[in-house]
Amino acid sequence: MKNESTVVERIVTTTDSGTLSRYWIISAMVGLLFSSVTGLLVSLERIDLSAANIFSTADEVFQFWSAHRVSLVLIAVLPLMIGLATLVVPRQVGASRLVFPRMSAFSFWVWLFGALIIIIGFLANGGVGTPDAGSESQSVALTFVGVLLAIVGLCGASTSLLTTIVAGRIPGLALLEIPAFSWSVLIAGTMWIATLPVLAANVVLIYVDMRGREPVNFGSEQVAWEQISWAFTHPQVYLWVLPLLGVVAEIISAAFKGKPSNALLAISIGLMGLAGFGAYAQTYFDLGTPVFEEAFSIIHAFVAIPYVLFFIAVIAPVVVKNRKQFDKRAITPVVLAALSVVFLFQGVIVGALHVIGPLELATRSTVTSQIVLTLGAGVLAFMAAFAWWGELLTGKSISQQKVLITGIIFHLGVGLFAIADFLVGFTGQNDFTGASEFAAGTDSSNWGDALNIISLIGSSLFMVGVISAVAVGCQHAFSKTPAEGNPWDLETLEWAVGEKEEVA
Amino acid sequence: MATVLPPAPLNRPRTLVVGTAFITSAVLMFFGCLFAIYFSIRSDTMAWGMEWFPENAISLVPGGMNMATLTVSVATMAWAVYAVKNDDRVHAYLALILTALMGIAMINQTVFYYMDIALPIDHSEAALLLYVITGAHLVMVGVGVFWLGLLLLRAFGGQDTSRHRDLVSAASLYWYAMVFIYTFIWLFIYIGK
Repeated sequence: MKNESTVVERIVTTTDSGTLSRYWIISAMVGLLFSSVTGLLVSLERIDLSAANIFSTADEVFQFWSAHRVSLVLIAVLPLMIGLATLVVPRQVGASRLVFPRMSAFSFWVWLFGALIIIIGFLANGGVGTPDAGSESQSVALTFVGVLLAIVGLCGASTSLLTTIVAGRIPGLALLEIPAFSWSVLIAGTMWIATLPVLAANVVLIYVDMRGREPVNFGSEQVAWEQISWAFTHPQVYLWVLPLLGVVAEIISAAFKGKPSNALLAISIGLMGLAGFGAYAQTYFDLGTPVFEEAFSIIHAFVAIPYVLFFIAVIAPVVVKNRKQFDKRAITPVVLAALSVVFLFQGVIVGALHVIGPLELATRSTVTSQIVLTLGAGVLAFMAAFAWWGELLTGKSISQQKVLITGIIFHLGVGLFAIADFLVGFTGQNDFTGASEFAAGTDSSNWGDALNIISLIGSSLFMVGVISAVAVGCQHAFSKTPAEGNPWDLETLEWAVGEKEEVA
Repeated sequence: MATVLPPAPLNRPRTLVVGTAFITSAVLMFFGCLFAIYFSIRSDTMAWGMEWFPENAISLVPGGMNMATLTVSVATMAWAVYAVKNDDRVHAYLALILTALMGIAMINQTVFYYMDIALPIDHSEAALLLYVITGAHLVMVGVGVFWLGLLLLRAFGGQDTSRHRDLVSAASLYWYAMVFIYTFIWLFIYIGK
């Protein structure tokens, strides 16, 4: 029978996991571009607060500063991870398609709608509130609606992925035998399901109070950010990029033709998931008791243990034992995966430094450094995954060289951005260059000024890297070179399964 | 004479139940956060010697009635699952209708209480949390009732059978979680105040 549906109908109603993953990834790249622009503007303003005149008030600086974080997590990195998982997970577990494909499609559209509302809210002088209540209250409320919708979409997509892994995998494939990436998605998805609703509860409380006659507490613009900030900082940021461990393990083990210990891999990723749970760290609700702070410090220190286990017990043995069997064709994904994991490790170390009281880094710009390192690691891991699984995504042959160049530009951007923010934190620059500094102008030293310029160069390269990634993606989408089918000659399920069917 | 064999049981994983378990966990975390905030702020307020809810603002009767209604609905929901499992369509209809009616009764009682209570939402943090927690729970009950309506439609179409009982099992899991959450509301908001 002739298919009479229009292009728009086909776009909106598709339930094919490959197509949905492309939607997620394309939209997330646009979100990443938005995020990089906001980051660049804030960096530009930091060079000289009194002279740049990009923003007219401290509240505007704050809006863009918080927009950078919110968009980086909710409309860039997390959707990138979900898009990648939507493509790879059903294939890896031998499922004919995603379980609940319609819910997965619905989740994408809900998330997209939420992401657009978030951006519109920011542009309409809203955002997630400001310290001096200088934003439009209606726009702030609109932004929170967007955040809530985005969370609903992300939770729905995670549920579909998790159910595919738990109940949709091929008979005979035990849970502990699933590939590393699917395992990391299982752990990450479970923890996303455990933490995103907590953020949703914060948002609902803020929104309801904001829409009342006079906010009693939660809905005041001045305190809105404080209530949700836990989701955009240490240790929660590790959870958003957890699948990168799976990407790294998959690429390294296949490129070196070795197999890491399943048990150690499962344990290290699982522990990482547990240690990354940050929903309890809501300092706004008077949790600053000595017991809480001590527990918090222990957990911060504990975060490093699973990483060390991952490097020493999972990755290193494969690399050392099989270094002579390295597949040189896989140089791009291996380099990008290695850079990604190094960034993640640096992020963990910077995060751990925050608990050393005498350093007084908890409110310094080292926090930004830690977030950029961790989330940047996630984006780099996605680029590595694109080089590795890109043929499944685009159906075209992947130009490894172009992906590598893009990854290195992005890597330089993240590196400079993060290192400068890390060092300038030691000179005393605050995480948010707040209202008082804005009014008085920056009082940082010459070192501080120089480091802020390096940070600006880093954020510019970050943006160039993202633009380059979008360009490379577009070029592959319109390329006429067909996919090789199995570029790495692997006998794994994801390369054996063809394009999926739509749900009738 | 040819032997007629019964149809083989469906060999497929219970994806709907697993998916519902994940979604229900997410809902539990949502309420977990609200309760954590409730207890934290209540503890601070009490420590300062201030009143949490105004005297006589919270009446135990509506909460108690709701709790009793929902407790009975747990039994009727279990009855529905049992009936569907045994292909007992008449009892399945009855149990599903009764469960849905109890959900509607609970919504009705709570809405009546909202109209009756002399506590505006912007009175205090306590009032705001009361309305947000019970309101979010009300939405959860509404979703449950809608789901039961869907089940009833399927049951009338002969689709809820012992071979296709996942939707009923999934709905029951959600319903039990909803009652579980209300137990906390009843204990800590209506009784503990």
